[in-house]
Amino acid sequence: MKPARPAQRAAVNSSAQHVFDVLRTVSAAAEPPGVSDIGRRLGLTGSNVFRALTTLEASGYVSRFRNLPQFELGTMPYLLNRALLNRFELTLASRPFLRALAQQSGETVSLNVRLGWYSLRVSGVYGSQDIYHRDRLGELALLHQALPGRAVLVSMSDAELAGMARFLTGIVHEWPGGEAWAVLRETLRASAATGFLAEPLPMSPGFSAIGIPVRDQSGAAIASITINGPVFPAANIGALLAVRDQLEAMIHADPQRFVSPFAHLPPERIVLQMPGRQAVP
Amino acid sequence: MHQTKPSNFQNREQNKAMARILMVLSSFASSRPDFGISELSQHLGMTKNMVHRAIKTLVEQDYVMRDSTGQRYQLGFRVLELQNAAAPEPSFRALCAPALQDIHAITGETVSLTVRALDYSVFIDGIETRKPAVWRLQIGALRPLHANATGHVFLSCETDAEVAAYIARHEHDASPAPDEACNAARLWQDIADIRRRGYAANLRPGLVPMTALAFPIWDAAQSVHGVLSVGGPKERFEPQLPGLLADILAIIEALCQRSRLYAAHAAGSEITL
Repeated sequence: MKPARPAQRAAVNSSAQHVFDVLRTVSAAAEPPGVSDIGRRLGLTGSNVFRALTTLEASGYVSRFRNLPQFELGTMPYLLNRALLNRFELTLASRPFLRALAQQSGETVSLNVRLGWYSLRVSGVYGSQDIYHRDRLGELALLHQALPGRAVLVSMSDAELAGMARFLTGIVHEWPGGEAWAVLRETLRASAATGFLAEPLPMSPGFSAIGIPVRDQSGAAIASITINGPVFPAANIGALLAVRDQLEAMIHADPQRFVSPFAHLPPERIVLQMPGRQAVP
Repeated sequence: MHQTKPSNFQNREQNKAMARILMVLSSFASSRPDFGISELSQHLGMTKNMVHRAIKTLVEQDYVMRDSTGQRYQLGFRVLELQNAAAPEPSFRALCAPALQDIHAITGETVSLTVRALDYSVFIDGIETRKPAVWRLQIGALRPLHANATGHVFLSCETDAEVAAYIARHEHDASPAPDEACNAARLWQDIADIRRRGYAANLRPGLVPMTALAFPIWDAAQSVHGVLSVGGPKERFEPQLPGLLADILAIIEALCQRSRLYAAHAAGSEITL
């Protein structure tokens, strides 16, 4: 993916830019990189990279990997991510509902919120099954790329879907292709009638993971609940929808409380380099 | 707001302007949702102009942004890029390590970190003083909750009914020393003092009387992750305390701003970063 580089990002002075680029390179690397790896990747001298790493290390943003001259993310980025997830009121408020679903299903239940054209996992609870699906807080994906986001798309209008298509083609260059997009839209149309999305699990033949949109008082999906793992007989889906209805009732009773901290931004303003992919210097 | 001070070597090598920018960004790793420039300036001891320049850089990077009112600053969405799925989430011990080092550096006394295991406290980390007359730190050692200031802090964070149930379980326990027995009246008095003050300040009698402070490290759900303690011989430590207490409390408050981002009892039941 080649994310857009809004013009104002270029205004940062070059020294600060080097430090941020080094931080993002450490964050995105599959293996903890060393000074020369980072320098090669960013086109910086060893001394520039070393100085940036020293600054980042002293501030807790990177740390040495097993006392080797290689670096990984430090404690501070994790704390910042935690703080950001907690800014979504649904993170804490949804836990009792997720716990109830995890107890009923025995599976991993999580809540993803909509963030522009992305979905972001902000909360989750494990069920009681011995074999379970491991999810991760902070996981990001474009809405069409994974079940939590596709569950949000279920309740989107054609005009909104067209807006997302423009974002995928024009800004992040992640267009899945016309045929795949048409198949997705067909699936979403079929799911709109049931109010949830069921997707087969490759490792559990005959079972599905389930994604359920969570809507605000205007009917717009602001989040989704997903249940991952060989779930629930289909006959019990009513119990899942009942828990979703309780969560929606809580949101409708106090809508201002559950507004996203980024709701004041137009969705196309939010452009993210996915964690785990190579940073763009 | 407390920040870890870099060593002399790091001071020489690091980009000082950038260190200030990162210090401002780190302020947002807190249970507070947003900040104004004046608040940051006051907390960090920087001029408003310095904070303003740092915020401008962070806004340009989308790590910080104006909130919906346009008056205050909140974390920006681009912080989400700073994740690595392959790395484990930092432990409570790692979170507290800088605070242990800082309190040890300003007091010169033994500092320790404990967590609760059923009716015991367990030492999981600490730094021993280099001075004579040392409060021994035994990593892994268990102490009944009624036996020391650390345990009393854990009990003070429980409901009265839970404290009463604890006392019922332990008031007839055999004790190696009279001051370590489960004395209900003394325990209730200590718990009331800790709840009023916010931390324990105890004197342990003996051949070398010892003074200890013990602070609860709070989590996101008003429960505690653990207790951070500092203590030393009364003759040596008490005269220092009036001049140090404000700094120690500032370090603890900064640590709790971060420890409140986590739930203490989520391990194994809730998904993590």
